Amino acid sequence: MENTRQSNDEVPHMIEVSHLTKDYGSGRGVFDVSLHVDKGEVFGFLGPNGAGKSTTIRHLMGFSKPDSGSTKIMGYETFEQYSSILNHIGYIPGEIALPAGLTGWEFIKMMQDLQKIHNEQRLSDMLALFELENTVLSGETKRMSLGVKRKLAVVTAFMSDPDVLILDEPTSGLDPVMQENFIQFIHEEKKRGKTILLSSHIFSEIDSTCDRIAIIKDGKIVSEFIANDLKHASRKYYTVLFDNTNAKKRFLEESKQIASLCLIKEEADSVFISVEDLDLNLFIAQLSSVGVRSFSNRRETLEDYFMQFYKEEKDFGGALK
Amino acid sequence: MNVIETQNLTKDYGEGRGIFDLNLSVKEGEMMGYVGTNGSGKTTTIRHIMGFLKPTSGTVFVTGLSSWEHSSEIVKKIGYVPGEIAFPDLKTGIDFLKCQADFLGLHDMTYANTLIERLQLDPRANLKRMSKGMKQKTALVAALMNDAPIIILDEPTTGLDPLMRAAFLDIIREEHKKGKTIFMSSHSFDELETTCDKVALINDGHIIDICNMQDIRSRSIKEFKIEFHTKEDYLRFLSENYEKTRLQEQYNQVTIRVGADAASQLLGVLKHYNVKFISELPYTLEMHFKNILFSNLNKEQKNKTISNF
Repeated sequence: MENTRQSNDEVPHMIEVSHLTKDYGSGRGVFDVSLHVDKGEVFGFLGPNGAGKSTTIRHLMGFSKPDSGSTKIMGYETFEQYSSILNHIGYIPGEIALPAGLTGWEFIKMMQDLQKIHNEQRLSDMLALFELENTVLSGETKRMSLGVKRKLAVVTAFMSDPDVLILDEPTSGLDPVMQENFIQFIHEEKKRGKTILLSSHIFSEIDSTCDRIAIIKDGKIVSEFIANDLKHASRKYYTVLFDNTNAKKRFLEESKQIASLCLIKEEADSVFISVEDLDLNLFIAQLSSVGVRSFSNRRETLEDYFMQFYKEEKDFGGALK
Repeated sequence: MNVIETQNLTKDYGEGRGIFDLNLSVKEGEMMGYVGTNGSGKTTTIRHIMGFLKPTSGTVFVTGLSSWEHSSEIVKKIGYVPGEIAFPDLKTGIDFLKCQADFLGLHDMTYANTLIERLQLDPRANLKRMSKGMKQKTALVAALMNDAPIIILDEPTTGLDPLMRAAFLDIIREEHKKGKTIFMSSHSFDELETTCDKVALINDGHIIDICNMQDIRSRSIKEFKIEFHTKEDYLRFLSENYEKTRLQEQYNQVTIRVGADAASQLLGVLKHYNVKFISELPYTLEMHFKNILFSNLNKEQKNKTISNF
């Protein structure tokens, strides 16, 4: 019996995109995208606007039919069998359009009816966590500020306590306090075994929540990696400001002994360099023998890594003639 | 001269909601950032500056004119990007930009084209089907193409990806250099830090603090976080004469506070240790505001205990 469970082929992934292609023409769309998310995992999805994140997500939500390939949630084809999984998914869209003419409370009620789940305890917990007060919810949705609408979308996506969370830039427009609450919430949900796909532009948010991260560019996945691998990179970056040009020159001369030191940028009396951790003590000793005015370090961050993939220029054309 | 000035600006929506007694001033050529939680009153303030809303009391002056009374005049002096963009019922981005140019009496589209290229915007796209990023770019072109002396931006980078955000902020910085007066709200401390001269913090409709970025950047105290390979080194370092702000024994980590000119001396001391990791913790705008909010909270609690007596 255990044997069947151990084989990965036999247990469907909670979220699975395999060889998804949707060609919108002129190079736009997604091409042969594959990814999967297992139970209890948080998967980060990074890429600039227009790279194909939302297109992939919209296929996962069953809104759109693939040209080829498939998207499955809990083993069900999302386009054909959407109704079987609807009530297991919490979804926050990238752009929020709330129906007109409803108050906040009416919208919540409508969504509860659609979800066919009325978990009042959970609802009031969510409202408290995201600080949505009665006075705000009694007002019409069209008069709500962007941040409040976003909070409302977050609460309605989570109030039925779904197993799978698909979140398309969920915190865009939320203030830093709410973003922090949101991150705490994701940590809790992960502990409770939820399966989470999170697309975001906020690196710190991806960094602190995700187990695995994929980067998408021009409709194709260009990198997929384990989040921790990046966090524990052993090469670090330092900016050193010297007392004067002489001190800098002396340091550069002496530092030739440091095998792993790499000079990235040099200015009149400062340098930007990288050093492996194992050479850190030698580096400190050499710095201390010349005059240093200030010293700061930067770890290679998710942002640096991401930017590497997107450095090259694109040409869109289309000026006002 | 103050280009933008709010004098005791109050808009009371009842139940404690609104903005109260705001006094803000932005000088010519200055860039002011504006932060605060969702619902704290940022957009309400901006809509008063634009003259879209009538204050309950107090006045907003833009170039010396009352915004509410002279709305139609000041609107032409301001390049404005709203927080939520609703375009008129036109077909393409080009149609919208042309319509906007007509309204402003603008004939030379050279600068508009430069901006379009910089932002890599395809304005031929259908307005209704534009993604959030494209709408944002189109709105920015419309706001800046007239070379208006004042620029007002309501969370302009929300929803933009990191590349667009960088392109967007570069353009704003250039406008600032050209001498434009700029007022920008944002949730990103990071981007305000690198662009603004001053930043105001609003909380529950009240201005809590206005700080000068120069003071934050040139703060004369620094904090360093140091991690040692061994417990022995960690304990030995504790006996050195430094102000320690945080100890994390389980990681052999210590955070110390030193004067800005003490970097060299610190490195000299650390030479005699086996250091695993060292990092300077920069004093950020975020820390500054957190400290202020925290100390205000403490005051409130003290006041409460006093009033309970």
